[in-house]
Amino acid sequence: MDLPSRDILWRIVALIIGGIFIYAGVIKAMDPVAFANDIDNYKILPWPLVVRLAFYLPWLELLCGLALILRFFYRGGLFILTGLTFVFIAASVIAKVRGLDITCGCFGHASKNWNFSGHLALDLAILAALSALWISNRTSATRKL
Amino acid sequence: MKVSAVRQALLLIALAFVPAIGEAIYFRNKVSWQSPVPASELVTVDQARSWGDNVIWVDARPDNEFEGDHIPGAILLNEDRWTDLLPQLLGQWSPEKKVVVYCSAQSCNASREVAKRLRDEAQLRNVFVLDGGWEEWLRNKR
Repeated sequence: MDLPSRDILWRIVALIIGGIFIYAGVIKAMDPVAFANDIDNYKILPWPLVVRLAFYLPWLELLCGLALILRFFYRGGLFILTGLTFVFIAASVIAKVRGLDITCGCFGHASKNWNFSGHLALDLAILAALSALWISNRTSATRKL
Repeated sequence: MKVSAVRQALLLIALAFVPAIGEAIYFRNKVSWQSPVPASELVTVDQARSWGDNVIWVDARPDNEFEGDHIPGAILLNEDRWTDLLPQLLGQWSPEKKVVVYCSAQSCNASREVAKRLRDEAQLRNVFVLDGGWEEWLRNKR
């Protein structure tokens, strides 16, 4: 694959991943109380912190998704989304090991009927895509030097 | 000037506070900031028992858990079969009754969800969530 085609491919991947996080952010921002209940189900954080995160995280996701699509603060957006995805996968696995029967909360109540395997597969795919975008961004920066 | 990934991230983190704080101000009176279920909507086993025959117990757990065991007289109403099961509850409800919803334990969310739907969709008043759920009932069984 030549260089312009590769750049177009990564741009498409960034559009898709950015779009997923914008969608997830909007869904959760529309019902922060429901999202707070979903976070609370993981039984990791106290409620006062949970409810404040429920108001904050959707907007962070949305902004970072926009960063990927519009390519402003692109690396910062990638950095945050990769970190959030890591944390979310870890929390999901911990909850599963503890035997907690929870809904994901990742797409608000739109994803409440997904099973654990489905969630994990999607999250790992997103993490793989984010990692690939990181690598492609670093490769592109090196090429420009 | 190139801005590092960390600086960009910090700027995004700071920017996200603006709409988040705006939304929190908008929702400030609709959210319980200190506990997941407002204290006014939680009842203990003893409180619910003291209401005697005025209580309708609602079990929000999956069908198989309800069939295994449940609070005597409880009606099954879970989100999986909401439409099928709601009429049975409505048939027993009257304005002076108090509805107490429970699920397996303090950690499960089903009772809160069912209680919320009963208030919002079925327009029922006096709907409460059992503090500690089925596990607490078993601990207090006499």
